[in-house]
Amino acid sequence: MSRTGHIGPPDTSSAKSQDMAVDAVSAGKVPLASKARSHSRRLAVRHFKLSLLVPLIGLFLVLLTPVLLLQLYFSVHQWTVYLSSWWDAEFVGLDLFQEVLTDPRFGWAVVRSLAFATSSTLGCFVFGFLLAYLMYKPFRGQACYYIIFILPMLTVPVVVAYTAEMMLYQSGPINDLISRIIGVDFKPAWLTNPDIALATVALLEIWNWTPFSFIILLAGLSAIPKEPIEAAEILGASKWRIFWEVQLPLLRPVILLALVLRFLEAMAEFPKTWALFQGGPGSATETLPVYIFMTTWQYFQISKGAAMSYIVMVLMIIIVLIAINLLRREKRSLDKMYELRTKDAEG
Amino acid sequence: MSRSSRRMFLQGSVGLTVANFVPGTAPFAQAATMEEQTIAAAKAVGKADVNGMIWSPYLVPMKPVIAEFTKETGIGIGAVQEISIFDAPQRAMAEALSRSPQFDFIHIDSNMIPSLASAGYLEPLDEYIKKAGFHLDTVADYGNFMKYEGQTFGIPTDGNVHIQYTRKDLIDDPDNKKRFADKFGVELKVPETWEDNLRLQEFLMDPSKDLYGSGNLRNRANGVTWWYMIFYSAGGFPFDDDMKPTIDTPPGQYAVDLYLQDKKVNHPEAANWGTPQMIPRIAQGHVVSCQYWDGTCKTIANPKQSKTVGQFYFSLVPGSKFTGKMVHRSISSPLAAILINKYSPRKAQAAYLALWLGSGKNSIPIVSDPVNAFNDAWAKEHMKAQPVLNAYTPEGIKAVETNFQVVAPPIYLTGYLEFQDALGKNLSEAYVGQLPAKDVLKKTDNEWNAIIGRIGRNKLKKDLASYKAVMPTKAVPT
Repeated sequence: MSRTGHIGPPDTSSAKSQDMAVDAVSAGKVPLASKARSHSRRLAVRHFKLSLLVPLIGLFLVLLTPVLLLQLYFSVHQWTVYLSSWWDAEFVGLDLFQEVLTDPRFGWAVVRSLAFATSSTLGCFVFGFLLAYLMYKPFRGQACYYIIFILPMLTVPVVVAYTAEMMLYQSGPINDLISRIIGVDFKPAWLTNPDIALATVALLEIWNWTPFSFIILLAGLSAIPKEPIEAAEILGASKWRIFWEVQLPLLRPVILLALVLRFLEAMAEFPKTWALFQGGPGSATETLPVYIFMTTWQYFQISKGAAMSYIVMVLMIIIVLIAINLLRREKRSLDKMYELRTKDAEG
Repeated sequence: MSRSSRRMFLQGSVGLTVANFVPGTAPFAQAATMEEQTIAAAKAVGKADVNGMIWSPYLVPMKPVIAEFTKETGIGIGAVQEISIFDAPQRAMAEALSRSPQFDFIHIDSNMIPSLASAGYLEPLDEYIKKAGFHLDTVADYGNFMKYEGQTFGIPTDGNVHIQYTRKDLIDDPDNKKRFADKFGVELKVPETWEDNLRLQEFLMDPSKDLYGSGNLRNRANGVTWWYMIFYSAGGFPFDDDMKPTIDTPPGQYAVDLYLQDKKVNHPEAANWGTPQMIPRIAQGHVVSCQYWDGTCKTIANPKQSKTVGQFYFSLVPGSKFTGKMVHRSISSPLAAILINKYSPRKAQAAYLALWLGSGKNSIPIVSDPVNAFNDAWAKEHMKAQPVLNAYTPEGIKAVETNFQVVAPPIYLTGYLEFQDALGKNLSEAYVGQLPAKDVLKKTDNEWNAIIGRIGRNKLKKDLASYKAVMPTKAVPT
């Protein structure tokens, strides 16, 4: 992203555009020169994109394709690990996919994962945004706060889980501290009540990963151009109005990016959930990663696990495609806005 | 030395040498101990550093014993992957499926033997045992836990049998005794049946003093272990000869009901508590009675780790008169044992190291470590060894020995984890109110049928003989 908040091809400053326009008019060759420059720029961008993408696609083909193909093989062959080798597994077509899609446990795991990912993503966003808003203007000691705020992200998730286990007993230090602060006996059973167990993991996820949202949003806030804010200030807009009508719309693509990345990451959360609950109490924390792990490595139903993974992969691809679509739309609307601004400046 | 005596000496030597090669006379001719024979057999296969998967609480007390073996044979420990005993089965199965030679040995719950042997990962140890003149001298029939389809696949390092813990100070208190007798018309004493146990727990618990009746586990991963004890003691066995589940039966429901009644007397957070939470509570005196792994004896008896030294009775786990006669069933799970990887290039070295660690004499320091208390006594020799008696107390060791006579495994079949988790999940759901108690066994029955269908009824019917062979035969210890 450029300093002006523009996503995609490099932008030019309005002053520079004005100069160039004057030169072109004086020379009397506006359309031709501009077309040539634009063509050459498009070529350069395409070359740049290819130079980045080709090695990645190559790596994908070499490393991921065999895994995906093997996974596909397992998901259409019923392999009973105790009875035969994997190459002798019986071909069952799409039976396993049907089995997974009609498995109520899988359905509940999807629901739990979506609930967990949505709540923790929103939590990370709210706290991350608040911190970023407090931090985006330079002040004394900013670096120190920055380090403190990103520390949770540097903590290993399993360590987060085990530390939480020691602190979240009903009569443990967290409840005790909250009780003292609010002056009322506060005794939720974070680790044993099936109704709040998943929320416990979501809270830990928020603590663990708020810094991630914070970093992205801080970068986004810092990159917002000053001109529209200054213009709004001159026009007498309140701080709230500047935030709501200028900063927030300009930040929308970054917010979307932060939400999408966090959501995808949260859908795959496993270490904390497993270390704290192993799917329990009851089946309250049996999320998709936990259920896939149990199916594959506790029940050793490798084939069913593979089919589940494929279905989840498709689900994630759909989510990513929607996200990309939304990001593109945001980019287009921002591009349009900057185009208008440039035209205004030129006019 | 005179001429004649020199001749006599030479004649004697030749005679002994010849005798060494005569079949059947070797033990007399060599007159070597089992440990010496293990060293001799190990030397013959050459030096090597063997790699393994083992959890450090188990490995630490083994290290001096391994060092001794390394000094004698040149066989030692190389790279060790530390994985908890509860996570080891998944990793081991991944190794089995990829036929990986990475680990020479794995230290794991022996109830995984049928699954890992069926997946072709395990090296049978009988040939090594024969060559080393080794004998697994276990209490009662505990050695059967290492066998599957007639072959030996493991060497135990940990007995891990459940024993009964009852608060001595509370039940011997004259005031409590009188109140109990007044209320129930019977004497307050160590419980004999599950019902006695529950009544005693209800009577003596006092949550206002952070004293709860039970210290049993009810989490999803471990709670099921307690269900088995009750179920087996009620005369239940999970499958019939045709491998149809037989848990949705009166003994099964009896076990579910008793299992769930623990909620009345256990800590409100027990639904997700494991050993890290419960052992400190037992040792700090917050529990009236429980059935727990025998290693907790060592913790309770260690004044550096316990506030209840001398305050517990250690005894036989409660039984049931559900069948009309008294039956006691304890359980050993996870029973940690060393298994050898069939694909390992150093399997012989690893096997002899396992035998060395599995000698009753050599394992005395391992099972008597009062700090790293995970390895528990299991050999006959342990039961009279002073360091072991010091660690467990004589009363504790007597309880261990008694419970071994009626010890049973969880489901000793291929697919053990899958059967276990289906039942554990449903019991856990019922315990936290997600599933009605009456549906636990019906649902488990259905899930087990699906598992049987997937693994293969015939395959499991073959396994059933090994499972039955591990079950105890005595109803009550002698």
